[in-house]
Amino acid sequence: MTKADAVKDCRHVGCPMNMVYAKVALSKLQSGQILELILDDGPPINNVPGSVQKEGHTILEKNRLDDGAWQLLIKKA
Amino acid sequence: MQITINGTLENITETPLSIARLLEIREVESPEMVSVQLNGTIVERAHYGEATVSDNDEVDFLYFMGGGSH
Amino acid sequence: MIDFSEEQLERYSRHILLHDVGVEGQEKLLQARVLIVGAGGLGCPIGLYLAAAGVGTIGIVDSDTVDLSNLQRQIAHFTKDIGMSKVESAKEKMLAINPELTVITHQVHLQASNIREIIRGYDFVLDGTDNFPTKFLVNDACVMENIPLSHGGILRFDGQTMTIVPGRSTCYRCTFKAPPPPDAVPTCSQAGVLGAVAGMLGTIQAAEALKYITGVGTLLTDTLLTFNAKTMDFRKIKLHRQANCPICGEKPTITELFDAEQAACDLKCSF
Repeated sequence: MTKADAVKDCRHVGCPMNMVYAKVALSKLQSGQILELILDDGPPINNVPGSVQKEGHTILEKNRLDDGAWQLLIKKA
Repeated sequence: MQITINGTLENITETPLSIARLLEIREVESPEMVSVQLNGTIVERAHYGEATVSDNDEVDFLYFMGGGSH
Repeated sequence: MIDFSEEQLERYSRHILLHDVGVEGQEKLLQARVLIVGAGGLGCPIGLYLAAAGVGTIGIVDSDTVDLSNLQRQIAHFTKDIGMSKVESAKEKMLAINPELTVITHQVHLQASNIREIIRGYDFVLDGTDNFPTKFLVNDACVMENIPLSHGGILRFDGQTMTIVPGRSTCYRCTFKAPPPPDAVPTCSQAGVLGAVAGMLGTIQAAEALKYITGVGTLLTDTLLTFNAKTMDFRKIKLHRQANCPICGEKPTITELFDAEQAACDLKCSF
């Protein structure tokens, strides 16, 4: 499995603050580094990945976790 | 002749046409409150009498607007 | 890099979400120093929006006090503020919106003798003054101090604005040369202004300041934006640097600032 350089857990964080946290976390990484972002099911997983991609980043993996939340591995542009 | 005044193409028959006369025709009430740009150059106020407008020229009347604070 | 607090992240979330602004843009805003000249029709919306946006240090210059006739358009001043200094009234509202800012008040009449010292150290200046001598003075001082400036003017149903980056774009004096003779300026009793026009124009100026600080988009440089609220026609007029401009041209003839004659009515009553 790809190793993340930073982790941001956005369980129980609604839209759009989860995207705000994702952007802050990504801003602290270098280009090419990887952020592991945990998102709730529903609107968060339906919306955030698209917004992340629109900013130019790449989604390497999208995995369902045991508790129903989602794990995204994002490579910073 | 055809000239563009404030972005609109207009037909004006009078030639030669000075800036001073154009301000009159356009009924600009106080010419002191207007800066005139002719083809990208601001015309000196003292030259309004001599400066003439030709076919295809672009003229802009730029109004002084002062309000804001009080 | 600033470590944003949870509260800051939420407060500025709508900026951070913007692709062009983001975390970096919000940091630039928090570190920026902006001066507003005039706490009136234009200065009020400018001040409120810049405060809301999180511009870290905002200076505001005005020597006047709040008058009942101001309240129709000067939206930072409330009925309870009548008689209070305009800069203090504006500061109070700006800090009520965003307590983490530094608001510096300059309750002075801007003059050739004090303007350079006041504007020095600011990253951007917004002109919301009501009289031509001061507009030219602000322009000239900003050119001399190499500080970008947003010019704004309103009258009746009309507004105009342009953004000036000294050395790079046309200045106010390139186009308007010199203040009109005092007797040609419409007297206060004849002119008037639709209150919302002040908000429209001031908000455009505020947006220009935010764009300059964050480096987003294209500024209104070499461009006069004019609008008429009766028809809602907006027009952008291309302007050009004038080689013979007495302040920013090839051979500047204005090498020292001076106080021009002012129409009597400009001194006290309102546009």
